[in-house]
Amino acid sequence: MSTRDLVLAALFAAIIVALGLLPPIYLGFIPVPITAQSLGVMMAGVVLGARRATIAVLIVLVLVAIGLPVLSGGRGGFAAFVAPTSGFLFGWVFAAFVTGFLSERLVHGNQSGLVQTVSFFLAAMIGGIVVLYAFGIAYLALAANIGLKQAFVGSMAFIPGDVIKAFVAALVGRAVMAGYPLLRIRA
Amino acid sequence: MQSLYVEGNSALHRLSPRAKIFSLFLLGFVLFLGDNLPLLAIVTLLTALIYRSIGLSLKESAVRLRPLLLTIVIVALFTLIVSPWHVALATLLRLTALMLFAAAVTATTTITQFMDEITALARPLERTGWVKADDIGLAVGLVLRFVPEIIARYHAISEAHAARGLKVRPATILTPLIILTLRDADNIAAAIDARGIRRHVS
Amino acid sequence: MAVEPLTLSLTENRLGVIGLNGSGKTTFARMINGLMKPTTGKVIVNGRDTRDEKTALADVGFIFQSPQNQIILPIVKDDIAFGLKGRGFSKAEIDRKVELVLARFNAEELATRRAHELSGGELQIAALCSVLATGPNILILDEPTNQLDLRNRALVQKTIDGLEENVVVITHDLELISGFERVLLFHEGRLETDAPAAEAITRYRELAV
Repeated sequence: MSTRDLVLAALFAAIIVALGLLPPIYLGFIPVPITAQSLGVMMAGVVLGARRATIAVLIVLVLVAIGLPVLSGGRGGFAAFVAPTSGFLFGWVFAAFVTGFLSERLVHGNQSGLVQTVSFFLAAMIGGIVVLYAFGIAYLALAANIGLKQAFVGSMAFIPGDVIKAFVAALVGRAVMAGYPLLRIRA
Repeated sequence: MQSLYVEGNSALHRLSPRAKIFSLFLLGFVLFLGDNLPLLAIVTLLTALIYRSIGLSLKESAVRLRPLLLTIVIVALFTLIVSPWHVALATLLRLTALMLFAAAVTATTTITQFMDEITALARPLERTGWVKADDIGLAVGLVLRFVPEIIARYHAISEAHAARGLKVRPATILTPLIILTLRDADNIAAAIDARGIRRHVS
Repeated sequence: MAVEPLTLSLTENRLGVIGLNGSGKTTFARMINGLMKPTTGKVIVNGRDTRDEKTALADVGFIFQSPQNQIILPIVKDDIAFGLKGRGFSKAEIDRKVELVLARFNAEELATRRAHELSGGELQIAALCSVLATGPNILILDEPTNQLDLRNRALVQKTIDGLEENVVVITHDLELISGFERVLLFHEGRLETDAPAAEAITRYRELAV
């Protein structure tokens, strides 16, 4: 892998870590704060594309594994990998990959800004919600010894917040592509 | 950034990282094998004792474990709604035991030990061409190096927004944050290449 | 930025490279350490062709203009040591080399400092240590004082003046090279003047108007 790609992935991993350290964002009309770290994973996909976004997330997981409290709330270490919600952590890898993969395929240079934003939104939704929750729910069902349907119901409450994150990720994806394109798409 | 390692000389401190990780896997496997409540309770007690042995004060332990314990309790309560009480209790004990032992492994192993272990594990994979073991250490270093810069940049952008009377909105802060940070990538990569640090890469 | 073909033999201990932005001076500088390869002809450094990847870079140190993007690990001494990895030195030997290079610039106290807390000038000194630790005999500095304030600028100038290595400085900061025995002036992609500092600077001022 080129040095540039390695640095891009590492810098985005640093962004994901920084987002975990910064205070959660309030969106004004919702009283519940949005922790920005999972937004960071979606943004990695829409900005860097499949390969580099996946590597960025893997770097974050290495940081967690070696005992650094980089997850929001100061969590880290192996305990973060054996929690009932750890499926959502492992799922980040696949979420980043799918979001990046779909971004590279769905977005084209000759689309209008609006269409590009919608494409990024789809990519972020499918990667950051559908795929992520598949892993999160499956792992939760196993770890808590409950049925898949129950695990799904238990996780549902977080979906609206993540839909908003997907929307923000789409806006950012489009804006970054306009200002500093890194995504390998069809012109 | 302060790591989760705790200085000490307990038995767990002296055990090799590989042995500890293997034990964690083994524990996970064993815990999910059966439903025997008394047995699970004993194992949980044992992991609690192991955790105490690493040398953290009760207060410090509480601070570290609270967020994770909270998640486990919520999940156990949720399980109580959909399953019989003994299933929920088994879940609570299993997840708590795992959390305690995992946290103990992390607290008794230094970052350097972990990095050496990861690099050693990645070496044989170099043959597949997917990863260069030394790149992992470089990537970790790069993240730790630039996180403070990114946080400083975030504050600078927020201040600039405030000075212009703009409301703080996620997309208008995150976009410049990402662009400004990633624009440095070319310069950083050039400096790395000029020093011949990734000489093994053609 | 393309540079017209030229033939030069550089042997001086101090070489300045000046010119307007886009004149080709940076392209020229990056050919010396092999960061860029010539499309025609060749660049021979210390008797070795820069297209021979393995050997060319080792002899030439390169300092870039943005101070904070050259120190890539959080703590200065770790960054310096990292560049010495994989060359067959023991840990003790590496630690010794790190100490020695910092001592050269009276910068021992930088060793345990965190990079993001350093000033621009301190970062450039740290970058110098990282680059010189591997023992290159040629050092290229690409606009080293561009982003520094007055005090840091003076610090870097003083440091450069004290270097024993063969030094090539690309710069807008004319005071930095005003005492150099040879200065190359690039203009619109070609070598305009090849002369001692005073003459090159005079010609540069004429062109810049």
